[in-house]
Amino acid sequence: MNFNFINLQPYSNPHYFVYLLIGLIPIIIGLYWGRRLKIYEVVFSLVFLFLIFDAEKWQQGVSLIIYVLFQLLVTYGYLYYRRRKNSQNKTWVFYLAVILAIVPLILVKVQTAFPQAKIPGVLAFLGISYLTFKTVQVVMEVRDGAIKELNLGTYLRFLLFFPTISSGPIDRYRRFAKECDMAPKRSEYLTDLELATRYLFQGFLYKFVLGWFFGTHWLPRITRAAMITGTANGGLKLSWWVVAYMYCYSMYLFFDFAGYSLFAVSISYFMGIHTPMNFNKPFIAQNIKEFWNRWHMTLSFWFRDYIYMRFTFFAMKKKLFKNPVRLSQAAYLLLFLVMGFWHGLTWYYIVYGLFHAFAIIINDCWLRFKKKHKDKLPSNKYTKWLAIFVTFNVVCFSFLIFSGFLSQLWFGWK
Amino acid sequence: MSNKRRLWQIFGPVLCAAVLLLVIFLLPWERTFSQGAIYQAANSQTTTIFKGSLMKQDAYKEGYVPFYGSSELSRLDPLHPSVIAQKYHRDYRPFLLGGPGSQSLAHFLEMQSTHEQLKGKKAVVIVSPQWFTKMGQNPDAFALYYSPLQACNFLLEIKKDTPTNRYAAKRFLQMPEVNSFVRQGMKRVAHGQKLTGFQRFYLENQRRILNNEDKFFSTFQLRDRIKKINDRAKLLPATYSVKALNKVASEQAAINTNSNNFGINNRFYKKRLNKRVLAKLKNSQRHFNYTKSVEYSDFELMLHQFAKQHTNVLFIIPPINEKWSNYTGLSQEMYQKAVSKIKYQLASQGFDNVTDLSKRGGEQYFMEDTIHIGWRGWVAVDQAVKPFMAQADIPRNYNIHNYFYSRKWQNKPYQISLTNENPLKSNSKESLKGK
Repeated sequence: MNFNFINLQPYSNPHYFVYLLIGLIPIIIGLYWGRRLKIYEVVFSLVFLFLIFDAEKWQQGVSLIIYVLFQLLVTYGYLYYRRRKNSQNKTWVFYLAVILAIVPLILVKVQTAFPQAKIPGVLAFLGISYLTFKTVQVVMEVRDGAIKELNLGTYLRFLLFFPTISSGPIDRYRRFAKECDMAPKRSEYLTDLELATRYLFQGFLYKFVLGWFFGTHWLPRITRAAMITGTANGGLKLSWWVVAYMYCYSMYLFFDFAGYSLFAVSISYFMGIHTPMNFNKPFIAQNIKEFWNRWHMTLSFWFRDYIYMRFTFFAMKKKLFKNPVRLSQAAYLLLFLVMGFWHGLTWYYIVYGLFHAFAIIINDCWLRFKKKHKDKLPSNKYTKWLAIFVTFNVVCFSFLIFSGFLSQLWFGWK
Repeated sequence: MSNKRRLWQIFGPVLCAAVLLLVIFLLPWERTFSQGAIYQAANSQTTTIFKGSLMKQDAYKEGYVPFYGSSELSRLDPLHPSVIAQKYHRDYRPFLLGGPGSQSLAHFLEMQSTHEQLKGKKAVVIVSPQWFTKMGQNPDAFALYYSPLQACNFLLEIKKDTPTNRYAAKRFLQMPEVNSFVRQGMKRVAHGQKLTGFQRFYLENQRRILNNEDKFFSTFQLRDRIKKINDRAKLLPATYSVKALNKVASEQAAINTNSNNFGINNRFYKKRLNKRVLAKLKNSQRHFNYTKSVEYSDFELMLHQFAKQHTNVLFIIPPINEKWSNYTGLSQEMYQKAVSKIKYQLASQGFDNVTDLSKRGGEQYFMEDTIHIGWRGWVAVDQAVKPFMAQADIPRNYNIHNYFYSRKWQNKPYQISLTNENPLKSNSKESLKGK
């Protein structure tokens, strides 16, 4: 066989957008006239999924198919259990379902961290983390009884919704299911198109212009300078270049990821699906808590709803903590540790998680202190700017940890 | 507001922008570069310049001579050809082409844009035997130097099916970066077919766009090394003499290599050869073999291109640092065999300006580091370059032979000398039949 498959990674180059927009035209015209062309949508999605996972990436494609079948088994197995007459809703069954749903991701993370330890049959594919977020979410809502029915077609479309498959934003099943079968009103859809176009171009500016300058143009130069000066300085190998790296990397991270997220939201809007936004001017946050309400929002809301809240209820029920302040601190610690481990099993991701946990705990203490001494503490536009400045720098420092650059500088690996 | 109007307000600007962009990139723009920009470009060694067209074309019209090579060109010590040409107001200026990892195949592609400008002119090639590994051009490095523009040029300039075109297309197809329409075109050429009408149309337009891109953006991110050159030039004696240059070379080298016993530049030694690396490298190159390699045929592509352009070419074969090769166990005997094979390939086709420095790797301060020529080595290079540049430009004719594209030649252990049996006469027809 001598086929020449082209492989297109999502949003990676101009060609991708040209193909994508051409493919979208029938969907747009359909929605404009109040019709959702479901069959075409499915074919179109499958083609673009195929383009991500074909050619040299075909093993990832196989991995994806097996993964999805496995997840269907877990979700529908649990749903079946919950829908039996007078279902017991046993906690251990729920735990088992959640564990089963995250086992593939854990195996992949272990495999990535220890490449020598070949785990047979485990192969990471693009988007596995984000698919796991979706399935775990569904299992949890089935437990709560919030999801009573799961249409196989809708569920598959939700899981494999290709604009967001590679890195989110993370949508919610119930939200998605409400929209995916109907066509919006014409005037609403026109607003969607307006936003979609704006987001698309904002995304170009973010990812291909600003992200390029920070990530491709400046970052390698700064990296080199920081390595050379660091080696010359000896000791902790620190230099002002590390500070430059910190800011440059933070900007790169934001513009690259926010740009990508804008593409995903834009394409969803063209398809009449309101995928939630991922970023909302994160760098004007006045404290860490606010920062996480503005940065990678769908991820932090997911962690808030399915880890922080769950843990808080669980601990309250079991009366693990007497002091509510201690309880929320423990919940934060858990949340950010899990987030750190989710990023990968390396010291700097875990330290990044811990750093944010402590930052938010300290922030909470400060807020309580402020509340108590309201009359004595000034609050004006200068303190507001100071708060923004401090938060920004704390966040940038956390990204320096996250980048792995310190690991490269100190230990020579990343 | 009516729906139609809203639609226009949403998509109108996008459509206008798309049309405008297409128009801008398809119009035949003119652009000239300042002398300063060209001088910077000639010494910048960036991949943008390597991949582009217009700056080189302009430069060759104004007395620049291409110096094709690889990483040794970035050893910008005071005796570097660019510094010497500047200091002594030579009537040529080197245009440095190549860098780490650029080998014959990358150079052949690069040369596609300048065949008009180099017709009957001069060129210098520093051909490193290190290129001649079994697999030839490193695919990852090729990706760095691959220019879609030059690939379009290659495909569109093809007049007829020749072994050279077929061989080149086959080699390009083995490189990862070559994709989409260019790849389809290369496939046809590799099979001896013409491009289809649509392919031609598409590639023509793509070439236009890429040419405009080159025009608009080639001065972006130029690496400015002029100050460096001027600073280095200050160290050279006011009047040219080989003896005085050698003296400066020895002085400079003595200061810059005092950290080790290999005669390796201190900075290079410190950065690239820490204890662990050094321990690993000891005797690690005993099995290196440069005598059997596809690179010989890739190199033939370059020669073919020179012959087509009737360019007068000076070839320089650099040595390897002898102290270093003793340490890594690289065989000097094997090295000499490779050199003899290269020299045979050159001489038998009429390329007679060859300066073989390959046996001088043991001379003190001849090398900048492990395998890169520097200091006194650059002085030796200048002793060849100076008289070569003094010659008048005359179109040269060469006897190109397709035998050098054959597996047989690639895998021949070595060629002793020209007086031995001549493979061109005895085997050529046979070997071509085999292709």
